[in-house]
Amino acid sequence: MSAGPRGAVVRGLAGGPPEEAGPLPDELPEHRRRSIPRRTFLSRMALLAVGGPATLEALAACAKSPETAGGSGGSATPGTLKIASPSSPVTWPIDKSALIADGLTPEKGATLQLYNYADYIGPKVVKAFEKKYAAHDVKVQVSTFNDTDEALTKIRAGKSGYDIYFPSYDQIAKMVSGKLIRPLNQSYVPNIANVWPEFTDPWYDGEWRYSVPYSVYTTGIGWRADRITDDLGAGANPYDVFWDPAYSRKLALIDDWHTAMAMVALRAGVTDINSTKPKDLEVIRDQMLDMQQKTQPKVTITMYNDLPGGQLDLAQMWSGDVVNSQYYLPKGVGPEVLAYWYPQDGPGMVDNDLMVVLAQGKNPVLAHLFLDFMLDTKNALDNFGYVGYQPPQTSLDAPSMIADGYVPENLGTAIVKQEWFAEGYRLLELPPETDAAWHQVWQQFKAGA
Amino acid sequence: MSAPPATDPAVREQPAAPAVRERRPRSRFLWPALALPGAIWLALLFVAPLYVVLAIVFGGVDPIFRTPVPVWNPVDWNTAQFSDVFRHIVGDDGYFGPALLRTAVYVLSASALCLLIAYPVAYYVARYGGRWRKLVLALLIAPFWISYMMRMLAWVNLLQNDGLVNRSLRLGGLGPLAVDWLDGRGFVVILGLVYGYVPYMILPLYVGLDRLPANVLEAARDLGAGRVATFRRVTLRLSMPAVIAALLLTCLPMLGDYFTSDLLSGSPRTAMVGNLINTTVLTPGQTGQAGAFVLLVLVVALVPMLLYVRSARSEGLSS
Repeated sequence: MSAGPRGAVVRGLAGGPPEEAGPLPDELPEHRRRSIPRRTFLSRMALLAVGGPATLEALAACAKSPETAGGSGGSATPGTLKIASPSSPVTWPIDKSALIADGLTPEKGATLQLYNYADYIGPKVVKAFEKKYAAHDVKVQVSTFNDTDEALTKIRAGKSGYDIYFPSYDQIAKMVSGKLIRPLNQSYVPNIANVWPEFTDPWYDGEWRYSVPYSVYTTGIGWRADRITDDLGAGANPYDVFWDPAYSRKLALIDDWHTAMAMVALRAGVTDINSTKPKDLEVIRDQMLDMQQKTQPKVTITMYNDLPGGQLDLAQMWSGDVVNSQYYLPKGVGPEVLAYWYPQDGPGMVDNDLMVVLAQGKNPVLAHLFLDFMLDTKNALDNFGYVGYQPPQTSLDAPSMIADGYVPENLGTAIVKQEWFAEGYRLLELPPETDAAWHQVWQQFKAGA
Repeated sequence: MSAPPATDPAVREQPAAPAVRERRPRSRFLWPALALPGAIWLALLFVAPLYVVLAIVFGGVDPIFRTPVPVWNPVDWNTAQFSDVFRHIVGDDGYFGPALLRTAVYVLSASALCLLIAYPVAYYVARYGGRWRKLVLALLIAPFWISYMMRMLAWVNLLQNDGLVNRSLRLGGLGPLAVDWLDGRGFVVILGLVYGYVPYMILPLYVGLDRLPANVLEAARDLGAGRVATFRRVTLRLSMPAVIAALLLTCLPMLGDYFTSDLLSGSPRTAMVGNLINTTVLTPGQTGQAGAFVLLVLVVALVPMLLYVRSARSEGLSS
């Protein structure tokens, strides 16, 4: 078992309940049911209606009441849609009146409401925050969602009073346009200095006006080294294994249309994983159906449990999930049976999740302080030890993560390196028609035709 | 299956209930008024939600958030999403077809298996349960104390490669008999459905069999029918309405089940219509298609429902 911070006792049993507020038995199903995964986020595009104030108002109306906004579905013409991407970064406008003043004291007797995926924040870290602000009688409550689309729908309803939300970069445009998130008063968040510098001016949110980074991860292939003795990463095209009948039925794809289809695209040599060309999509579709024929993969998000548990030999995986897998190994099985491949010297799929302050929250000061708290190196590390997803802390390097037991040595390939973010492939929001076309292929694949 | 019980001599001799009929005129308003709570319940929890589904199926999509935009006025309804689904069920591009066919096969085989298991159990408890009958019934209901989801999760653990089931199979001295249960196999999904829904089958069957008038059975025996003939010509026929009710009670929820396939297989190759609904309803821009599937299931479910209403009515007339 791992010497990691959560230790063998905490996650000794496959899928078993950890000691604290991890998945208790009756919470597990929700955890599994998520059918669009936490890392999904596929960057939905940064949709910016550049049509001027009128369109912005229409957007705000959307946010309040979908019935009135759409009419028969298309009456609110979105104008030209702008997609934030590494090659065309976006800096969102700020409504100064929504900024909180400098130097306010935290709200007293408040309950800070976090809105997050299940098991995506360490309970000990949450406790530590309550303790730090005990003088102000602060409580923290975590509510969970299954996927970010569901979350956004609830947030738009506006009544829940969530203070902090953990989305991916794909939803920022919608949230800014709908005035759902609050611009940050950066004077409360000095710990931003601890994270990779690119996150102080990310392409999806120039000048970090609305967001701070939460975690970084890659998408690669995880497998059981005790069952597959070949080094899967050594082949000319490692993605080929998903079409190899030798692994039939013992493999899985991530249950997210864009993440899974992007891998298929990369296998076929389509490096634009956000391609709007029908020809590319045709290639992807043929490849997917071919894969279905040859290997009948599962489509799931529970590979962090199924790979260590032995139901899978091989799976498309997020680096954070493969790190997490070590806590789900059966008794007597060490983490050396796990292996992970990500193109260490070429571009692969990289992603990051965020923390944002919601406009509907009642405790904006505490929310800012919480963001800062989570960017503190020690707290970020404690949290890493629970969720398995790496925080983009500058002080973290591969040797220390292995030496301190956060990542087993044989999973060193799952450590995310800063330089990969410069040229890695990003899942972006697609223009509506393209998005619908991709979804249709995914739907066909999922129907098992 | 719909053998009209009224034609059976055994049934025709059921005593009518003239007393009830006499009272009816006096309470022309009272009795219908008693149905009011039920009617309100139906209107609020069935008719209204169904209208919402229709408004979404024939509605639009928010251009920015891609969430469904219901259209309440039927005049403005747009059939694009609806026809899109149907275009993909049959024909060259009919990629939903296999999943629908699969659903039918799974549900029918699971129901048949359920019936094979449940009928003898219910029969035994009703006829030979004796003083243990209450206890046996309580034990039969026991699985309900645990949620369906939890029971399925338990099966996932039992059926794992090194789970209890495979270990028992190996320990039986039968050699390497281990089965890869969770590798996306259709029969495992069917067995999961059987396990999950068999109590729903046992209870109505028990109630039906328990109510069989003993004197009719005795009469059959007196008149020379053997055990088998009594069962075949009296018990089985009299219990047909209960069988149909039990089949409905299991088939209908099975038609919408997605969780069994998700947990016990996870492979698109075993996707049922419930899985199609589950994936599309969560997909931005496709919620209307999920509604179209819901309507499809509803229409398919209506057929056996009408059969049941017909058989229940003929039973009502004869008793």
